[in-house]
Amino acid sequence: MKDLYLIYKNLTRKPLRLFLTSFAIFIAFLLFGAVTTLKSALDSGVELSADDRLVVLNSINFTNPLPVAYVNRVKAVEGVSKVTHANWFGGYFQEPTNQVVTFAVDPETYLDVYSELVIDPAQQDAWFRNRQGILIGERLAKINGWKVGDRIPLSSNIFSQDNGSSTWDFVVEGVFTGNDEQVDTGYAIFHYKYFMETQTMGGDWIGWIILTTTDPALNESVARAIDDQFANSSTETDTSTEKAFNKAFIEQIGNVGLIIFGVVFMAFFTILVVVGNAMVLAVRERTGEIAVLKSLGFTSPRIFRMVLAESMLLSLLGGMAGLGGAYVVVAGAKDAMAQFLPNLVLGTDTALQAFGFMVLLGLVTGLLPAYNALKLNIITAFSRR
Amino acid sequence: MTALFDLKKVAKSFVKGKEKISIFDDLNMTIEEGDFVAIMGPSGSGKTTLLNMLGGVDQPTSGEVWFAGERIDSLSEGNLAKWRANNVGFIFQFYNLMPMLNAARNVELPLLLTKLSGKQRKKNVETALTLVELADRAKHMPSEMSGGQQQRVAIARAIVSDPKLLLCDEPTGDLDRATADEILKTLQLLNEKFNKTIVMVTHDPAAAKYAKRTLHLDKGEFVEEGMAA
Amino acid sequence: MGSVFSQTMAVIAMNIRSLPQRIWMSLAMILASAVVVAILLAFLAMAKGFEATLSSAGSDDVVIFMREGSAAELNSVISRDQVNLIEVAPGVMSDANGPVTSAELYVVVDGIKKSSNTEANIPLRGIQERGITMRDNVTITAGRMFTPGTNELIVGAGILQQFDGFELNANVRFGKNVWRVVGVFSSGGNVFESELWADAKVLQSLYNRGSSYQTMRAQLTSPGALETVRAYVENDPRLNLDVQTEANYFAAQGKQLGYMAIFGRTISIVMALGAIAGALNTMYTSVAERSAEIATLRAIGFSSLSAFAGTMVEALVLAAMGGVVGSVCAFMLFDGLNASTLGGSFTQVVFSFELSPDLFRQGAGFALAIGLISGFFPAWRAARMPVVAAFSKVA
Repeated sequence: MKDLYLIYKNLTRKPLRLFLTSFAIFIAFLLFGAVTTLKSALDSGVELSADDRLVVLNSINFTNPLPVAYVNRVKAVEGVSKVTHANWFGGYFQEPTNQVVTFAVDPETYLDVYSELVIDPAQQDAWFRNRQGILIGERLAKINGWKVGDRIPLSSNIFSQDNGSSTWDFVVEGVFTGNDEQVDTGYAIFHYKYFMETQTMGGDWIGWIILTTTDPALNESVARAIDDQFANSSTETDTSTEKAFNKAFIEQIGNVGLIIFGVVFMAFFTILVVVGNAMVLAVRERTGEIAVLKSLGFTSPRIFRMVLAESMLLSLLGGMAGLGGAYVVVAGAKDAMAQFLPNLVLGTDTALQAFGFMVLLGLVTGLLPAYNALKLNIITAFSRR
Repeated sequence: MTALFDLKKVAKSFVKGKEKISIFDDLNMTIEEGDFVAIMGPSGSGKTTLLNMLGGVDQPTSGEVWFAGERIDSLSEGNLAKWRANNVGFIFQFYNLMPMLNAARNVELPLLLTKLSGKQRKKNVETALTLVELADRAKHMPSEMSGGQQQRVAIARAIVSDPKLLLCDEPTGDLDRATADEILKTLQLLNEKFNKTIVMVTHDPAAAKYAKRTLHLDKGEFVEEGMAA
Repeated sequence: MGSVFSQTMAVIAMNIRSLPQRIWMSLAMILASAVVVAILLAFLAMAKGFEATLSSAGSDDVVIFMREGSAAELNSVISRDQVNLIEVAPGVMSDANGPVTSAELYVVVDGIKKSSNTEANIPLRGIQERGITMRDNVTITAGRMFTPGTNELIVGAGILQQFDGFELNANVRFGKNVWRVVGVFSSGGNVFESELWADAKVLQSLYNRGSSYQTMRAQLTSPGALETVRAYVENDPRLNLDVQTEANYFAAQGKQLGYMAIFGRTISIVMALGAIAGALNTMYTSVAERSAEIATLRAIGFSSLSAFAGTMVEALVLAAMGGVVGSVCAFMLFDGLNASTLGGSFTQVVFSFELSPDLFRQGAGFALAIGLISGFFPAWRAARMPVVAAFSKVA
């Protein structure tokens, strides 16, 4: 397009203004990208959890235990395929603030149910054989610099051993990864039997049961059958899909999260309004020049397109830079935040959404002055000066 | 000489508030091809309105404006723009150069409306700038040039697409005597050597002397007509 | 021409009076300042409200005992033997009714949150008469106290407000156990209002806790007795417990949302950069639009100082107006807004946003900073505007 040079020159005629405007747009999209990513990372635990796995919890609350005998009773329910169980260990490494998400599990069935975890067969066998062995996720291994063969002491903020110590010694027997980049590998699992024999609270109880069904279509009826079976017993259960459970857990952060995101998005739009206003004013200053172009024979639609293209370019310039900045910030924060938010990735849909807003900004800020330019009467434009 | 412009019973009025202001009631004039007409008259006499109507940026309330056998007062806005691009070069009092473009790019502007290739455009720009003796300033920005130089760039811009007609609105109004004379000589040259028809609105009797004839406009009427020496 | 002062005032007055004519530019500047202030206040009010809810719960002369490393009440276990040992510890107050201590249970139950209609964790605290009297400000606002030994509970005002199904006289079912709500209590807005209270002995039996408890609170004989108690605990191998004042415990929990304040400040500052860029742009445009006017004044003989001050004050006034708008919006939208989120013990904490005068001062400071920065550079440009600009046509 021959007018491209003209558009470019219009855009860059006042470098300071160009800088300020694109900087403001940059900031807006930086925040948008970063905060949207944060939000979707919070939600992603929900998205990723398998819909075909069910969790059986104590109906009072998930922090209350279930009797271990329930495992076999659940297994007997029709439609249930694989069953495993887990206990929350409340683990930390050296300092209580340095939390390590750790579960005591039944090794064989756990890996069977969580089929998305990938582990070297030799390491897996070694872990199965060593009761003090612990299997750690790749990301957890990376954060703490642990590798196979390391002896690591993990403490529990809930449980104690008979000798009064609340620290257990483990041997890293293997490191697991996921079959998909987004599978959470930020936790560790060890032998349930070892845990039960060493902790002082005694008893044969488990935290919760995880199961798969023979057919996802049966999920609802299986869940009802399980809960019915334990109704009116000393320990009632509440069975739901893993996804529903995770969703409810995220919801607990509650309206605080909602308020934060609301506030940030409000700010995002306000910045766009302020910037848009400046962009509109900037074009208005050029009324005379537009009149000259018209008198030279530039047609109105052509000028309309030029003005629109300019604001579109400006919007994309600042916006893409902001999105790029958000990408860098997110990548930088990824490791620091890995413990809390494993899925901190600026996703395609966030980028697309941001791009949509850039186009919208370009359109809205461009349309009004472009329309004014279209309608501009050369006479009034000249006599106005 | 054949008639380039023919104005028939042109009237122009507009409404300001409750008042109807009439600029022309019944204006008739003819401009031959190759003419150089100066239009003089006091402020408010309608000089600029007349020029605007000739340039197709303003339309009469009634009457007809014919250009080379074509009626232009009834053309659509888009067609008028095309017509201007093909036939008219404008020269303004305040030059009206694009401040962010250098001299060559300013001159090139009307050529963007043609189908000429980049190379061809460059050549034409060079020719036009040479004609106004500014070839060596091609890369200068308007802010780096004197008023007279800027006006010559504006003239180069007006002639680069080789229009038949040049319309000048107080082309020397912002310039000192010596510079004004240079500009007017350039216009004269364009008229005589390149057969451009020129209509020039001016306050300045000295400027009007460069024209072939001068029309005096007062209260929307031509009061006397004299041929320049 | 009058004094420099009267000149300056004249220009300022002229600029301010012409603001309505430059309505879009003025609104943009006000909006930029308003949004930054509103956001800053929102975040600070949230962090402040959360912190206040927790910190006002703790007392300096009450110590709380928890199992070593457990960090939160939910994780802790204390045996009956340990309870007995603490009751006789030096530094722990006793009165006619025996030691002023309270061994408590803390279990988590599900409630349906009104805002999302999903299950959320609520703490059910097993407590006894002594524990309730040890807490200041606890009053039964409706109904009555639970009767020890029965399935009765009293519900905190915050729970009542944020959760469904805890109305007075309602029957509440946790697992197979049915509880009856017999009273509503208030504790002056602190974190205890986000709890349910029932008889500790009943909880022990229903939740198979035997004779064990989870945490223990004890009144100190004097605030300085903390060290005495701590030394006693450290010298007895049977007491593998952490001791801290209740105030410290809750202050640490209050820091949980401290990240919110940091996050909020960071966002506000980044956003302020964007808003300042927008405001600067607006002010530069404003100066450019009036360059002829400014130059004319200078040509008449106004000083460059007056041109500077005129623009500077204009920016400050607009930013201050924005600050007021932002504060008012924040106040209307957020002050007293009730929210609940997951606290340190894995349970819901109900709290209100709190906009204190101190926060408004911070907001005002922010607004003026925006005005200063976005006014200074354009004002500088106005002051140095060449007089000749008055005589040349601006393209």
